[in-house]
Amino acid sequence: MSDPISATPVTRRTLGTLVIMSLTAAAAACDAGADPTTGRDSVNLGFLAEPENLDFTRTSGAAIPQVLLTNVYEGLVKLDDSGRIQPLLAESWTVSADRRTYDFQLHSNVTFSNGDPFTAETVKFSFERVKSDAWNVSVKKQMDILDHVEVVSPTQARVVLVRPSNEWLFDMTGRPGAMFTPGGIADLAGSPVGTGPYTVSRWTRGESIVLTRRAGYWATKPALSTVTFRYFKDLNAEDNALRTGAVDAIIGFGSPDVLPQLTADGFHVIEGKSNAEVVLAMNNAAGPLRDKRIRQAIRYAIDRAAVLQATAGGHGTLIGTMVPPTDPWYEDLTARYPTDPQKARTLLADAAPGGLTLRFRIPNLPYAQTAAQVVKSDLAKVGVDAKIEVLEFPARWLSEVFNKHDYDLSLIAHVEPRDLLKFGDPHYYWGYDNAEVRKLMAAADAGTLEEQTADLREAGRIVADDAACDWLYLMANLNVVRDGLNGVAVNSVGESFDVTTLTWR
Amino acid sequence: MLARVLLRTGVFLAGVFVASIVIFTVLRVLPGDPAQVALGVDATPEGLAQARAEFGTDRPLPTQYLSWAEGLLHGDFGRSYLSRSAIGPQIADRLQVTGWLVASSIVVALLLAVPLATFAAMWHRTGRGALLAGLSQVGVAVPAFIAGVLLVDLFAVRLRWLPSGGWVAPDKDPAGFIRRLILPVLSLGLIQGAVLSRYIRSAVLDVLDQDYLRTARAKGLRPYQAMVRHGLRNVGIPVVTVLGLQVASLLVSGIVVERVFVIPGLGSLLLDSVANRDLLVLQDVVMVLVFAVLTINFLVDVAYAALDPRLRRSS
Amino acid sequence: MTRRPSPGLIVGAVLVAGVVFTALLSFVWTPYDATEVQVADRLLSPGAHHWLGTDRLGRDVVSQLMVGSRTTLTVGLVASGIGAVLGTPIGVLASMGPRWLDRTVMLGNDLLLAFPGLLLAAMLAAVYGAGTGPAMVAIGLSTLPSFARLARAGTMQVVTTDYVRAALVAGRGSWWNARRHVWPNIAGLVTVQISLSFAIAVVAEAGLSYLGLGTAPPTPSWGRMLQDSQELISAAPLLVLWPAAAIALAVLGLNLLGDGLRDLFDPRLERR
Repeated sequence: MSDPISATPVTRRTLGTLVIMSLTAAAAACDAGADPTTGRDSVNLGFLAEPENLDFTRTSGAAIPQVLLTNVYEGLVKLDDSGRIQPLLAESWTVSADRRTYDFQLHSNVTFSNGDPFTAETVKFSFERVKSDAWNVSVKKQMDILDHVEVVSPTQARVVLVRPSNEWLFDMTGRPGAMFTPGGIADLAGSPVGTGPYTVSRWTRGESIVLTRRAGYWATKPALSTVTFRYFKDLNAEDNALRTGAVDAIIGFGSPDVLPQLTADGFHVIEGKSNAEVVLAMNNAAGPLRDKRIRQAIRYAIDRAAVLQATAGGHGTLIGTMVPPTDPWYEDLTARYPTDPQKARTLLADAAPGGLTLRFRIPNLPYAQTAAQVVKSDLAKVGVDAKIEVLEFPARWLSEVFNKHDYDLSLIAHVEPRDLLKFGDPHYYWGYDNAEVRKLMAAADAGTLEEQTADLREAGRIVADDAACDWLYLMANLNVVRDGLNGVAVNSVGESFDVTTLTWR
Repeated sequence: MLARVLLRTGVFLAGVFVASIVIFTVLRVLPGDPAQVALGVDATPEGLAQARAEFGTDRPLPTQYLSWAEGLLHGDFGRSYLSRSAIGPQIADRLQVTGWLVASSIVVALLLAVPLATFAAMWHRTGRGALLAGLSQVGVAVPAFIAGVLLVDLFAVRLRWLPSGGWVAPDKDPAGFIRRLILPVLSLGLIQGAVLSRYIRSAVLDVLDQDYLRTARAKGLRPYQAMVRHGLRNVGIPVVTVLGLQVASLLVSGIVVERVFVIPGLGSLLLDSVANRDLLVLQDVVMVLVFAVLTINFLVDVAYAALDPRLRRSS
Repeated sequence: MTRRPSPGLIVGAVLVAGVVFTALLSFVWTPYDATEVQVADRLLSPGAHHWLGTDRLGRDVVSQLMVGSRTTLTVGLVASGIGAVLGTPIGVLASMGPRWLDRTVMLGNDLLLAFPGLLLAAMLAAVYGAGTGPAMVAIGLSTLPSFARLARAGTMQVVTTDYVRAALVAGRGSWWNARRHVWPNIAGLVTVQISLSFAIAVVAEAGLSYLGLGTAPPTPSWGRMLQDSQELISAAPLLVLWPAAAIALAVLGLNLLGDGLRDLFDPRLERR
C-alpha cells in the first residue's frame, strides 16, 4: 500500500489537538485564582457521611445533627469542648430542692430565621412536640421524663419532670432540646428554621451543603459568613480535595497512615477525644457466649494495641469499659483484662474443650473489616475459629444483628454520648442482663451528681468484669486543618459540629 | 410499512409494561425494611408503623405497583423514603450530570478511536499499525477507575493543574465546569476509546476489502479519499451499534469514576438507594434506564428498516 | 490448513498461562501465608523478606497476589461460563424458532442488558452477603445478553443459507441442522467471546471490590487489594501498583488471546 499520509488528516488532527489545548489553557487561566484557599470569609470542610434529609425528628443518623445543631438550631443549653453543660438560649436556670423543677431564664430579643420570636411559648411547643407523634425517632424517649412545661412569662419557662433526672439536662444539649417555631415546621426535611446564626442556603445532593450567616442573630455573630460542608464517599478523594485546596479541613479524618505526608504541607493535625467506642459485641443471651468464661477468654486473647495500630495507625485510646475519658465517671480499667493468650487457652480448655467456632457478623464498614481481621487472627491463635461474614450496612446489619440478635460476635463503633447506659437495657442487642447494674443506673439518674458519678463508675466496673463485650479502642477525634484556620473543636463530645467558633488568623 | 411500524410500536409498549412489572418484582427481593433503615437503631414499633404508612409499604403489593405505575404515567415519580423530597427532580439533576459525563466521554472516545483505528487498519501489516493496535490493547486492560486514581494523583495532587473533583453546573460557572470535567472524562474516554478503536479497526479492515473500494481506487482516488468517501459510511453502522452497547456500560462503569471524582451522578444515586433501601428511587431510576434503552432500540430498529432496503424486504 | 498464529495470540497465550501457573503454584507454595496478620510488619517497602512489601495488616503482597490469582481465574471462568452456557442456547433457540419466540426472547435479552449490572451485583450482595459468589453471578448475568446476541447472529447467518434451507426441505429437522451447521459456525465466535467476557469479568470484579461489593475479607483478591490500598496511595503508592499491574496484564493477555483466536478462526482474514 502506498503512503496514505497526505497533508489533510495530519493537519486536521493537529488543529483539533491545538484547539482543545488552548481551550483548556484558557479555562485554566480564567479559573486560576478561583479556589480560595485563603478566603478569609468562608471555609470548606470535608466530611464522610452526608445527611439524607434535614429532619432529625423523623430520620436517624449522626450526619443531620452534625450540620444543623448549634449552627442552625439551638437549644436552651449546649456542651463545651470538655463536655460540660453551658447556657445557650437559657441565660441561667435554677433547680428546685426536689430536683424535679427547672426554672429557665431565657434571653430576650431572640428570633428565628423566619422572623418568629423565641419565647417561653416556644419552649413549651418544642418540648411537647417531642413527646407527640411529630417525632418518630427513638431519641424522643429522652423526653419521656417530662411532665409538663409552664409559661411563667415570655422569658421564663418552668419545666417539671416526673422524677429527678441527671440525664435530662444533658440530653437537652442534643436533638430533643432543639427549639422549633410553629411557623417553621412546614418543610423540616428541606428548609430548617432555627434560632442559630446560620441558615441552609444551598444543598447540592451528593456533594455539599452551604450554611450562610444570617442577619438578626441574637448573640455575637460568628466570624465566617459562609461555611460549606462537602461530602465524600471516598477517603482518597477527600485527601486529594484537601491537598488541592478544595477543602480547608477534614473533620473525622479516616486514613491516619497518610498523616505524615500532610503535616509537612501546611496542615496541622488536631487530635482529641470522641465518644466513639469500637465495640466487639458479644451475644450474651444466646449461643456459646452465654458462658462468661468464653467471653473472658476472648478478652484475654485479643491484642487491642495491635488492633488500634492496624485500624487507626495508633490514633486512639485504649479503654477498659464503655466509658470515654471525657465522662465524669471515667476510670482506667484497661488493666483488668490484659492481653494474655495463655490465660485465654486455659479458660477455653475448661469451657469449650472440643474447640469453638463463632459467627462473626460484621457491617461492611472499612474500619470494621480491618479490625475484624486482626481479631480473627488473635482468636485463631488461641484455638477459636471466628468466621467472618460481612453484612451490608445499614439494612442487613440492622435487621440481622441488631434486631434479630442473630450473631455470636459483631464489631461496630457506638458514637452516642453516655452509651454505658445501654448496658442497663436487657433487650439491647448484647442481651446483657444484670439486675445490679440496672439498679445502679436507675439510682445514678435519680441521685445527686456525686451519686451519679459513683454509681456509674461502679456500673462500668461490673460491666467490664462480666466481659459483657470487649472494647477494642476509643476512636480519636482526628481533624486535619489548614494552617491559619482556628477554632476547630478538639474533642467531639456532642452531636453537633460547631462552626460558630471558626476563624481565619 | 405502516403496519410494520405499528406492530413494532405495540411490541415496544408491551415491553415497557412488562419491564415495569419485572422491575417492581425483582426489587422486592431486597431484604430489609425501608422504615427500619430510615429510623435506624432501636426505632419504636409505633415509629415504624408510622413510617410504613408514610411510605405506603404497608399496603398489599399489587396496590403499591398500581399506584406507582399510575404515578409514572402522570409524570409523578413519588417521594424518596429517605430524603422526603420529590424523586423526579432528583433523577433529572443526576441524569444531567451523568449525561454530560457520558456524552463528553463518548466524544473523547470517538475523537481518539476513529483516527487511531483507521490508521491502525490502513497500516495493519506494518510496524506502525501493530504499535497502534498494541496501544489500544493496553488501553483496554486498564480499568477506568485506576486510570482515574492515577490521573488525579498526577494532574491534580502533584502538578496542581486541575481540581481533584467536585461538580459545578455549567450555567453557574462554565470555566469551573470544564476544569472539573476534564479528568473524569479523560479517565472514561481514554478507556472507551481504546475499546471502540478495536471494533472500528476490525470494521475498517472489513470495509477495506470490499470491491467497491477497490473500484474507487481504480478510478484514481487516493487511498485516503477512497476511505472517506466510501468506506467510513459503511463503518458507521457497526460503530453505532457498538456505541449503543457502550452507553449502557458507561452509565454504570461511570459510578466508580463518580466516587473517585465526587460527582453526583446516576450511579451514586443507584448505589446509595440500594444501601438505604430507598425502593421508590430504585424503581424509578431503573425504569428510566430500561425505558431509555428500549426506546433507543426501538428507534434504531425503525431507522434500520427505513434506511436499509435489504432489511426492509427480508424482515 | 493451518494458519500461523499471530504474535498477539502468542503473547496473550503466554500471559494467560502465566496467570494459570501462578494460581496452580499457589496451592502448593506461597512465600508466606496470604491471610496471616502481622501488625508489627505493616506497610513495609519491598525488600529481602517481603519481595513486594506488606499491606496495612502486615500481609505479604506476593502471597496475596498469588492466592488472588485463584479468585481472578474463578471469577472469570464462572462469570463467562454463566454467560456462555445460558446465553448461547437462548440465542440459538431464538433464531431457529418461530418469529414470536425470537421477539419475546430478544425483548427479555434487551431488558437484561438494560438492567444495570451494578444494581444486580448490589442486590445480590444485599440478599446473600457481599462475596465472590454473588459477584460472579451478577457479572455472568450481565455478559449473558452479549452471548445471546452473538449466538443469534451467528445462527441466523447459517439458517438463512441455501444449503440449510435445502436440508430443511429435504426433511432434516432443526436439531440436526443445529448440530451439523450451526455449532461449527458459532463455536469460534463463542470461544472468542468467552475470552473477552473473561477479561470484562476481571475488570468488573475489581470495580465491584472497590465499591465494597466484591470478594469479602479475608479471601485475597486483586480487586480487594486495590480497594484496600488506594486510600494509602500517597503513603504507599506501590501497594496500588502491584494489583493494578496484575489486573492489567491478565486482561491484556486475555484480550490478545481473544483477538488472536478470532483472527485464527475468521475465514475472511485469509488474505491478510
